[in-house]
Amino acid sequence: MAWEQEIELKVNGRAYAKRVSVRTSLGDFLRDQLHLTGTHLGCEHGVCGACTVSVDGKSARSCLMLAVQADGTDIVTIEGLRDEDGEWSVMQKAFFENFAVQCGFCTPGMLSSAIELLKENPDPSEDEIREHLSGNICRCSGYQAIVEAVQAAAAAQRAEVQV
Amino acid sequence: MSDLRLTNEKAVGSSVLPDEARPLLDGEGRFLNDISFAGMYHVAFLRSQHAHALLREVDVSRAKDLPGVIRVLTGADLLGKVEPFRAMPNRFSGGESTQHWLAVEKVRFVGEAICAVVAEDRATAEDAIELIEVDYDPLPVISGPREGEKDTSPLVHDTCANNNLIKRKYVRGEIDEAFATAHLVVKRDFSIARKQALCLEGRGCVAAWREGGFQLSIWMSHQLPYVVRHYIAKHLGLPETDVRVIAPQTGGGFGQKASIYPEEFVCAHLARLLRRPVKWVEDRLENMVASTHAREQEIELEAAFDEDGRILGLRSEIWVDVGAYSTYLWSAGMEPLQTGGLMPGPYRVPALQYNTRGVATNKTPTGPYRAVGRPSASASLELLLNEAARKLDLDPAEIRRRNLILQDEMPFRNANNLIHEHVGYMPCLRMAMAEAGYEDLRAGQAAASGNGKLRGIGVACFAELTGLGTTTAVGPGTLLQPGRDAVTLRLETSGVLTIAAALPSQGQRIATAMRQVAADELGIALEDISCLTSDTGMAPYGFGTFASRTAVFGSGAVIQAASELRRRMIALAAFLLEEPEKELSIINSVIKNLDGSKMLTLSDMAERSFFSAKDIPQELNQGFEVTAFYDPKHGSFAAGAHIVVVDVDTETGAIEIVRYVAAEDVGRLINPAVVEGQIIGGIAQGVGEALLEELIYDDQGQPLTVTLADYIVPSALEVPNIELHHANTPSGALGGFKGCGEGSIIGALSGIACAVSDALARRGGDIHAFPATPERVLRGLGVDLGD
Repeated sequence: MAWEQEIELKVNGRAYAKRVSVRTSLGDFLRDQLHLTGTHLGCEHGVCGACTVSVDGKSARSCLMLAVQADGTDIVTIEGLRDEDGEWSVMQKAFFENFAVQCGFCTPGMLSSAIELLKENPDPSEDEIREHLSGNICRCSGYQAIVEAVQAAAAAQRAEVQV
Repeated sequence: MSDLRLTNEKAVGSSVLPDEARPLLDGEGRFLNDISFAGMYHVAFLRSQHAHALLREVDVSRAKDLPGVIRVLTGADLLGKVEPFRAMPNRFSGGESTQHWLAVEKVRFVGEAICAVVAEDRATAEDAIELIEVDYDPLPVISGPREGEKDTSPLVHDTCANNNLIKRKYVRGEIDEAFATAHLVVKRDFSIARKQALCLEGRGCVAAWREGGFQLSIWMSHQLPYVVRHYIAKHLGLPETDVRVIAPQTGGGFGQKASIYPEEFVCAHLARLLRRPVKWVEDRLENMVASTHAREQEIELEAAFDEDGRILGLRSEIWVDVGAYSTYLWSAGMEPLQTGGLMPGPYRVPALQYNTRGVATNKTPTGPYRAVGRPSASASLELLLNEAARKLDLDPAEIRRRNLILQDEMPFRNANNLIHEHVGYMPCLRMAMAEAGYEDLRAGQAAASGNGKLRGIGVACFAELTGLGTTTAVGPGTLLQPGRDAVTLRLETSGVLTIAAALPSQGQRIATAMRQVAADELGIALEDISCLTSDTGMAPYGFGTFASRTAVFGSGAVIQAASELRRRMIALAAFLLEEPEKELSIINSVIKNLDGSKMLTLSDMAERSFFSAKDIPQELNQGFEVTAFYDPKHGSFAAGAHIVVVDVDTETGAIEIVRYVAAEDVGRLINPAVVEGQIIGGIAQGVGEALLEELIYDDQGQPLTVTLADYIVPSALEVPNIELHHANTPSGALGGFKGCGEGSIIGALSGIACAVSDALARRGGDIHAFPATPERVLRGLGVDLGD
């Protein structure tokens, strides 16, 4: 059971070399070995989306991915969303200002999915936002404030680009 | 009190951005599972695979020998050392249930804890669980309430005849006469499936023990820290002063985290036994079977009407499948009693009779969940009103208009003995109809149907009793009467204000709300106020967060404490500034005289009062710490009217919510954006209750829905955009506030149910069982599904 393997990866811009048990999920690795507890595990069977992180620029469920599979990858978690000046990213700010956070347990995965959407589609419609976030369950908000936050972030991002 | 009220009215009513959300956006929320200590052990539970069985033998020897395993605990190990849960006595009670923390001799539902394994890490604890051998001797399974209450049924508890954990018959008014003289009697049955809160974060705890004072600290994902503290002390035989309960950042509660469960108490015992911190975090598979479920009701309702469609009397028979144990503290009475008692909702009901029971079965116990009992009470009556309207050739909105309790009739005592006051049912209905363009919706309904689509329009009105004081019980008949809560206000020596209360938040922004109220009451700037809401080591007594009470109690207690604190502040300032008290005011954390020629900052005053006390007469320097209890005595009725438009696909049975308009009366708003988040969030859970969520058991008591792939909760695609409007009437409570956390789920189930039924009626169909899954919809249309 205790087979272990060496992995090297980048998380939030920082390089790590760690020994991990081959059965450890990426989510448990981030939380327990790197102490990045901002990534939340809501179901551990790949449905709720709370554990979503960015792996090489693509969303991944960190509960379904093994830590050994992350060898050589570049990962961004919620702890890595602030910009170089330590300011909130456009999406964090929009979530705050639009009351899109209630209990906050789904927030890390929501932010990750929402940021990915705006990378692919800087001006999404409400339907496109709902479709893209449909793999992230929020039990508190009814999604409306989250959709509004993503719309606000998209508008802010477009305004930034124009300037 | 009004003459002591402060002038700064800016904070209450504003959508103040909630500071307590900031760490959540940085991944620094520190939820339960994010708390760790050096040397901490991890706990996992072996759970019953059988719904009902005798435990012949539990062999833990192989598990104990696994490297990394510290201790394996069985039910026998706890006997005589801790006190099991005996269902809270209830004055309408049937039988009693005793729940051992780890099963002894018998298991009564799939998921009941049998053993606890303590290991160096969770994975090893789970490995050890696999090595425990249990020899079960299966018993007959009770899988439904109607079967369960028969004289011939096996018993879940020998102490509980007919498996009736609760039974109550209530009659008020001339009920037989109402039905004998009625112009029209409509009878209708209704059922709602079993569901659960599905907090995204499960339950869990970290328990830590140290010798000496303050021995047990327990971090627990829970809504009622002080109540937990009392019962941990009682059941473990500890002095209450040795127990500290902290509710950290909590990932959803919705009532599921308001009950007392065995697992956390086992962990507290283990921390004491092993002298090491222990952690248990519920995984999703556990959460689906080991945390309380809700609903699962069958209702037979009949109503008597006069020729104008006015209700003369209501009669109901109610069966609730309450599961294997009477949930600790709340008892099995929650859903059965509230559904019966609150059936009249916002309508004038001169005579009421209900016969309700909670029947024990071999399923997970049910407990409090958002709007306990009320959604099914409301939906069953709203659907019946639609049927009556059809028979009387009235529009569904018109029959409601004729029955709603009007403001000029208030205070109005209904047949369920509740008094309606300070609430606007008709204004909600009027606003919802106007905003929805109801007449046009009806006029366009036929044209919108066709091409395999049926359009339905649902109108639902509801009443929601919030902020219950000591004279109105949350759980009727239970000994738990949570009617008062305290807040401590403390002006710190630097002049900033701390609000302390045991009113933890699961996302409702209680801290921001109380800061807003305090800012207005005291004239202290918002940024100078902080709030602690989750730690029994720091806060005065309080029952906690549930039953749409927290904003009402927290704000009321803040207003009361602020009145005394302000008196002390002004008295000292008058001395220091040499000005008459009545000419002083506090604005933006500065005390000023009338013309502003003399000023004293709160930081200056607080510092002087503490560090330079010798210069101040003692009677003027009583300390800036005030605790006040608030009891609103009665509850405050909130209200709403929801209008829902759906399209039903006659081919697939799929339902699309085309429009959703809600008008709500939740009293004076403290923070509108937060309130809207609560209301819309409640509607989303109601969408799940009406269309998707169903915990299914087979007839052997095996749960078939134990992952989120089987138990479907609404995603962003199923929840429509909600058009929310406010028709607020201030309550009679301090500040005019009402609770807003639960009411909207009532309107959502009722509104959607009525819309679906209205759609099916276009083809002569109907629906009585919810959620309205495609299968039930097609059956409602008379489609032959080949079975």
